[in-house]
Amino acid sequence: MWPTRALCARSVWKGPNIVPLPIVKARPGEKVAPIKTQARSATILPSFVGRRFQIHNGKNYEDVTITEDMVGHKLGEFAPTRKNFTYKQTKNK
Amino acid sequence: MVFIFGVNFPEATLVKRSLETFYGIGPKVSQGIMARFHIFPYAKVGSLKNQQVLDLTAELSEMKIENDLRRQVQDNIRRLKDMGTYRGRRHAMGLPVRGQRTRTQITTARKLNRIERGGQGRVKM
Repeated sequence: MWPTRALCARSVWKGPNIVPLPIVKARPGEKVAPIKTQARSATILPSFVGRRFQIHNGKNYEDVTITEDMVGHKLGEFAPTRKNFTYKQTKNK
Repeated sequence: MVFIFGVNFPEATLVKRSLETFYGIGPKVSQGIMARFHIFPYAKVGSLKNQQVLDLTAELSEMKIENDLRRQVQDNIRRLKDMGTYRGRRHAMGLPVRGQRTRTQITTARKLNRIERGGQGRVKM
């Protein structure tokens, strides 16, 4: 019996995918710049909560504010990489 | 007619089959429950003793089945959607969630993947 397939995706002995990101503690009365990153596979750690991230989606950097629910997920889950197809009418035939 | 967990079953129904009408009970779980109360795998509902019926009802009322289970599943999906994850979006769009191809063969995902998963009400016998 497997506990859940999601847990089977990565070996336990590896631990979460910790990527060194420039996380600094916010001092009161000081605005923190968002963290621009391409590390979509980085696991969200409890220390990320409340911080703003700019996550690469392959083209642009998407703004995401990390909430408490998101801990344990990956950064890339919050920056969709695909665009919906929309039909564009051609002007010159 | 025999009452199990608030539902009326005809006496000629198999116990296994009647247990599996509840959302959250499949072959494996029903097998386990019947083994625990010494019920023969092909036993009919009519052949159950009164005490066995009460035991079954007590067992089922402790388990997380029917609407409680549906709510749990739906809450999990809604949490993904509210967070704005890719998986939540795929559920809302009714498309495969775990990276399957979408060029062909997505009828199962079209049928099942939605925010309100599990449907409403009991499965008819």
